[in-house]
Amino acid sequence: MEIPTGPGVRSSPMVPQPDETGLDSVQFGEDIQHLISVPPENASSFTALLELPPNQAVELLHSPDSTLRARTVIDTHHHKPYLQPHFNGASLSFPTNSGLIERAARFSVFAGENLNNTSNNSAETSSVPSNSSANLEKVVKSEPAEAESYLNPSQPLVSDPTTVENEAQNQRPVKRKEREKKGKGSTKKSKSSGNDNSEDAEKLPYVHVRARRGQATDSHSLAERARREKINARMKLLQELVPGCNKISGTALVLDEIINHVQSLQRQVEFLSMRLAAVNPRIDFNLDSILAAEGGSLIDSNFPSMVMPLMWPEVQVNGNRQNYQQQWQFDTVNQPVWGREEDGYNFITPENSLLSYDSSANSATLHSNPLKMEL
Amino acid sequence: MRAPQSLKQEFLKKWMVGLQLCESTNQNMSILERKKAIKLSADIAMASTRNGMTCWSRALVAKTSTDFGNKVLVDNILLASQSEKLKNKRTIIRRKKILRKSHRARKARGGRVVARSLAKEMVKKRTQVLKSLVPGGEFMDDVSLIEETLDYIVSLRAQVDVMRTLAKATELMNGK
Repeated sequence: MEIPTGPGVRSSPMVPQPDETGLDSVQFGEDIQHLISVPPENASSFTALLELPPNQAVELLHSPDSTLRARTVIDTHHHKPYLQPHFNGASLSFPTNSGLIERAARFSVFAGENLNNTSNNSAETSSVPSNSSANLEKVVKSEPAEAESYLNPSQPLVSDPTTVENEAQNQRPVKRKEREKKGKGSTKKSKSSGNDNSEDAEKLPYVHVRARRGQATDSHSLAERARREKINARMKLLQELVPGCNKISGTALVLDEIINHVQSLQRQVEFLSMRLAAVNPRIDFNLDSILAAEGGSLIDSNFPSMVMPLMWPEVQVNGNRQNYQQQWQFDTVNQPVWGREEDGYNFITPENSLLSYDSSANSATLHSNPLKMEL
Repeated sequence: MRAPQSLKQEFLKKWMVGLQLCESTNQNMSILERKKAIKLSADIAMASTRNGMTCWSRALVAKTSTDFGNKVLVDNILLASQSEKLKNKRTIIRRKKILRKSHRARKARGGRVVARSLAKEMVKKRTQVLKSLVPGGEFMDDVSLIEETLDYIVSLRAQVDVMRTLAKATELMNGK
């Protein structure tokens, strides 16, 4: 566990440039130097003692996390002696035995905690900013605070680290989240942890809204977006249904194809009813006899119904085509051409049969079209 | 959506009933009359296969019964089961029409969005065309229009297939 020593002190107005020190480790050295330069005013003997810890601290900052923890304890302990430099003359010897130092630090810290429970509140409010930043920054921040601490030894500094540590353990998950949300280099203003928690709770429901950046989130826009998605899904289905629509992109073009298809089907119905009317003198089809003749193939016959859509460049002719269709069918219904056509081609579109009657060359090209489409 | 085979069979059955009814009402018809009767009965048979579940079938029945003035024929064809149901739906459609009209009027007063992209305009134009093609399409919104178009296309295909096979069969019978 890291021991963020500083925060209790940071609530005090005397903190020198807390944000800058928290930003990056490069600045840290300078800050330390800056901090170091302060103590001599209080006691000239400090400079000798301070000579060692800053170097250590700088080197510690670049060391991995695991060692950092132990070292931070050392750091805190290193600074502690400066608080009472006159009583503790043997502070220089501390770095030699790190384990001992750590234990001593803990002991002193715990003792301090027992003494100063009143400082918990202040530590709580200010604990967030120092802990929410990265581990490195934590140490960095704790460092100036620590340095600050011996500037005014009257404050109960030593007690703060553990109380803050306990809180840090409790609040860690929340802070992790915060850290993910916020940018890395963002320096946060000191907020109370309670505020942060409520902020999280407020942010949660918005996760489910599927609004991308820059999109409106009011109910009308969302409904409109849902409607558009629905339409697009249906259009996809239509695209699959209508032949030759798969490769087309663009709503307008797809709609064109759909319109053509529907029109072609409607004209086919028109034409077929005409054809049936022409074929039969009576309207009453004798279904039984037909079924008998066809051998039941009437229902089962599976025509490739994809023949049509390419055929409608000559849509405009359709109006007057019906007129001459009648006469034409009147004349030609009983001609052998019909039978030949029916036998020769499985699928005969109205245009095909019509045009093949007019000119065989034209019909040939037209017949090749559906074949291509089948491929 | 049902299987196309059962759809075709049902359509054929209903169509035959309709044709017999037409035949019984008018014995001597010209070819144009015959054609009209065949188409009418085919349309209504196709619409009735949907059991009034879809907008386009209801609109088709409504249109055929009003436009051609052969309400009696339509009613006769539909007499078996769905006539009443479809008629009821028809009144609903009319109400919808009125409602839509008032809505449109309100919109026009409110003013339109001035800047509109070309693509949007194209799509709108085509949607209008499609609405005019699909029976009852004028009363649909975009989503239901596309759904109805899907259904309509499927039904039309079944209709075309059945009609084509029937035509072929009768021609074979007559020709040979």
